[in-house]
Amino acid sequence: MSSDSLAIFARGIEKRFGHVAALRGIDLELPFGRSLGILGPNGAGKSTLVRILAGLSRPTAGQLRIAGEEKDRRRVRGRVGLLSHATLLYPALSARENLRFTARLYGVEDAQSRIDTLLEELALTAAADRRVDTLSRGMAQRVAIARALLHQPPLLLLDEPFTGLDVRSAEELEVRIRAVRDAGRSVVLVSHDIERICACADRVLVISQGRVVHTSENAALDPAQLRAVYDRAAEASA
Amino acid sequence: MNTFAAVLWKDLVTEWRTRDRAVAMLVFSLLTVLVLRFSHPMGALANTDEIAPGLLWVAYTFSSVIGLNRAFATELENDALSGLALAPSDRGWIFAGKALANLLILSGVQFATAVFFGLLFDIDFTPVAGRLALVAGLGAVGLSSVGTLFAAIAVRTRYREVMLPLLLLPLLIPILLSAVRATAVLLESGVLPDGPIRTLLVIDAVFAILSFITFEYVLDE
Repeated sequence: MSSDSLAIFARGIEKRFGHVAALRGIDLELPFGRSLGILGPNGAGKSTLVRILAGLSRPTAGQLRIAGEEKDRRRVRGRVGLLSHATLLYPALSARENLRFTARLYGVEDAQSRIDTLLEELALTAAADRRVDTLSRGMAQRVAIARALLHQPPLLLLDEPFTGLDVRSAEELEVRIRAVRDAGRSVVLVSHDIERICACADRVLVISQGRVVHTSENAALDPAQLRAVYDRAAEASA
Repeated sequence: MNTFAAVLWKDLVTEWRTRDRAVAMLVFSLLTVLVLRFSHPMGALANTDEIAPGLLWVAYTFSSVIGLNRAFATELENDALSGLALAPSDRGWIFAGKALANLLILSGVQFATAVFFGLLFDIDFTPVAGRLALVAGLGAVGLSSVGTLFAAIAVRTRYREVMLPLLLLPLLIPILLSAVRATAVLLESGVLPDGPIRTLLVIDAVFAILSFITFEYVLDE
C-alpha cells in the first residue's frame, strides 16, 4: 500500500527530551477508515506520540506522513482533529462561540450550518449558548468532540478521552468513536481502558518505554491477553 | 487574517467577560504609582518633572508584565493553547492577534495610570496629551510585541511568573531608554523629539517582525 493512501505513515519516529528518550523508533501504518488503539503504562510515550501525530511536537528523528502530507506542517495540522482529557475549550466562551472560533481558525466553509448540525447531532442545541464553564464534564466533552470534528479531519486523535466521564457519557463517546470510524475517518485512541480499546479499535498497539512491544489485529483482540501484555509492560517500566 | 481576527476577537471577548488582565494590571499600576508617590519625600515635588517620565514608565512596564503573564495563563486552562497551536494557519497571525489584544488592554491601563499619576504628582498632562499618547503607544507596541513572544515561551516553563520578567525586562531596555527620553523631552519642551521617536519606530518594527516569524517555533512543544 502506498504511503499516500494511508492516514498515518510513520517510520522510525524518535523523540528525545534532553537525555531522556520518550520514543525509540516507532513504526506505524494506519489506512483510512480504520481505528487504532494504543495502550501502555504511564510514561510509555503514548501522549508524546499523539502530539507528534497532531503536529504539536516535532519528532527528533524519523519520517511521518499524515493523510499524504509530510512537509507542510500547517496542512498536516489541518488534517487532524484532536480530542483529549482536556477539552481545549475556552471556559468564558459559550459552546457555540468556541465552535465559531475554531471554524474561523480552520477556515470552515458554511460554518454556521456545520456548527448547527454538530450541535444537533451531539444533543447540545439547548446548551449551545451557555458558557463552557457552566456545562457538566460530559457536556463539555461533547462540545470538545464537535470541536475536533468541525473541520471534518480525515484523522481523529483521541488521547485519554474517557478520563473524568461518567458511565453514560463514556458509553456515548464510545458509540460516537465507532460512528466516526464507520464514516470513513481514521481514529487513533489512546487509553488505559482495555475493554473500551477492544470495543473501539480494529488494531491495538502496546507501547512500553517508547517502543511498540505488542500488536493485535481485530480478529485476535482479547482483553485478557492484552491485560497480560499490559501488565508485563507496566512491570518492565516500573 | 481570519486567524488574526479570530484570536483578537476571542481575547477581547474573554477579557471583557472575566476582566482577568485589565483589573490586575490597573490595580497593580495604580498601586505602583501610589508607592512611588509615597517614596518621594513629602514637599519635595520641585524636581518631579525630571523624574516623572522614568516613574511613569516603571508603572507601565511592571503592569504590562503582569498582564502578559496572564495573557497566556488563560490559554493553559483546558489546554486551550494546544487547540490554538493546532490551527492550520501561519502561527504568526496568532501572535499578531494576541499582541494587538495585549496592546489595546495595555493602552487603556496606560491612560488611567497617566491620569492618576498626574493627580498624585501634580502634573498637568493635558497640553501634551495627544503627543504623550503617541509616545506611550509606540512604547506599548514594543512592550506588547516582544512581551507576547516571551509570554508564550515562559508559559510552558515551571516558574513562568518569574521567568517572564527575567527574560523580558533586559530586552525592554532599548524601548524604555527611548520612551523615557521621548517623554522627558515632551514634558519639558512640549515637542516630540525626532531621535527617540525614530528609535522607537525601528525597535517596534524589528520586534514585531521577529516575533511574527519566530512564533511558529515558539508554539511547538
